Amino acid sequence: MTAPFFDVAPVVTAIPVGLAFGVALERAGFGVPRTIAAQLAGRDFTVMKVMFSAIVTAMLGLFWAERLGWLDVSRLSLPPTDLFPQLVGAIVFGAGFAIASLCPGTACVAAGTGRRDGLATIAGLFLGTLLAAELWPWLGRAAENHLRLDATLPHDLGWSKGITVALLTAIALLAIWCGGWIERRVHGGIAVIRPRVLPTLSTVAIVLALLAAAPGRAEVTVSADVAPLQLAQWLHDRAPGLRLIEVSDSSDGERSRIPGSERRSVASLDTLTVAPGERVVLYSEDPAVAAEALAVVRRSGTTSVETLRGGVEAWENEVMSPVVPSTTDSATIASFARVRSLSAWFGGRPVLERRTDDVSRKRRRNTC
Amino acid sequence: MNAPKRYSDPILAGVALGLVLLSTILVTGRGLGASGAFASAAAATINTLAPAHAASVPYLAERVPSTAAGIFGDWLVIELLAVAMGAWLSARFANRLQWRGADDVGDRGSARIVRAIGGGALMGVGARLAQGCTSGLALTGGAMLSTGAWLFIPVAFGSAFAAAYVMRQLTRRGQSV
Repeated sequence: MTAPFFDVAPVVTAIPVGLAFGVALERAGFGVPRTIAAQLAGRDFTVMKVMFSAIVTAMLGLFWAERLGWLDVSRLSLPPTDLFPQLVGAIVFGAGFAIASLCPGTACVAAGTGRRDGLATIAGLFLGTLLAAELWPWLGRAAENHLRLDATLPHDLGWSKGITVALLTAIALLAIWCGGWIERRVHGGIAVIRPRVLPTLSTVAIVLALLAAAPGRAEVTVSADVAPLQLAQWLHDRAPGLRLIEVSDSSDGERSRIPGSERRSVASLDTLTVAPGERVVLYSEDPAVAAEALAVVRRSGTTSVETLRGGVEAWENEVMSPVVPSTTDSATIASFARVRSLSAWFGGRPVLERRTDDVSRKRRRNTC
Repeated sequence: MNAPKRYSDPILAGVALGLVLLSTILVTGRGLGASGAFASAAAATINTLAPAHAASVPYLAERVPSTAAGIFGDWLVIELLAVAMGAWLSARFANRLQWRGADDVGDRGSARIVRAIGGGALMGVGARLAQGCTSGLALTGGAMLSTGAWLFIPVAFGSAFAAAYVMRQLTRRGQSV
């Protein structure tokens, strides 16, 4: 069900999303430059409270949607990471944010509520963007060289997603409470509008974050395996840091079942050295062998390791000989186009129908 | 005219904003954004006024809308126009419309307008370098655990606190904000 409206015309989703975004920002008081100036003077922590509670809400929501299997993260477009230009950009942006006392989104809110300084900020944004485009041959020299499209904190720091989410939730809640404390103690109290909201919602967030951090069965079953099509996409895109290992105890010269893999025995895996940022995917002819190999690698302290869901059989069924959908539903056909091109890239060939043995039917239902 | 209603509790407003963000990501596969729309708008404007120039600047040429819908085929442009609409609706029903003008944040009148343009221009440059702003990078990327977003949030706000301090010293009247 992930991103059912990913490919529709922009107006269908952009208008309701924008309206809701505009209402939420306006109700938060973000269209008022005075609110933002008071935050940057350290007197009124509205901006920080709104930003952090929004991030925590969406972050916990995304984490649990993925954990419960409602969300396929590979379909999302993650904002890219390119550390040096982003560092410089953040400094320049922050200065502009303080001077205008509005950001690009809130400038539109300010303009929509009739403020002339909102319109002026929009004009400035337009000019600045144009300037950046003209100067890009110089400005962009540092940019786009180290651009990473899949850089997330869990991946870069080698922490589990649950721990990362729990730590960020803790930091955000602490900042929100400290902001409130400074408002009350140092500046003699901005009236709290609804006193019971913060303790109640904080409790909910803390419980969800603690459950996220707890190593549970769900973590193993949900995030420890890679769908064959996802692996195919990574191999096709030459995803940086991907390391594919075929676990096999036979040392005969037979070719690996998936191109680009190295072959190792289970016994040799406890000395496997994994570089930071590397993502290991294990597979085997026999799924039980891959599961055993996963346990061995995990015991040696590596967390960024996954197995291929369904093993070699699923790779053959889903990538090398995917079944052509027998439907005229345009969305299904459109999504099959991606499967077909990936399959062709690996030298596979779609088939019209597959013998309907119970195993593959059950597996197909699980991966939908 | 009725008195303006007060703004929402910040925590409730934040949770509401977070739910808007969450459902946007779940339904469309992308997050909220703002500054990216200005890149499309700049490219489309220069392409209309001086097509030869737009074609000679790669950063613009890559972003000139290619479909018949033009700039209105860009998701972010539509979304941002709807943001202004949503803000107007929300303020309209809460009696918070401000047709008389600009906020006093240390400067008034034309000085405030000049400040807004200057600040906007700096944000325009900064957002291109950072590949996002407070909406697209900080909020959306923050929720998606993007490394770049969690670099941007502390650095941009740190820089903003420092710049706000300097601005208060320069304007002095800022003390009375």
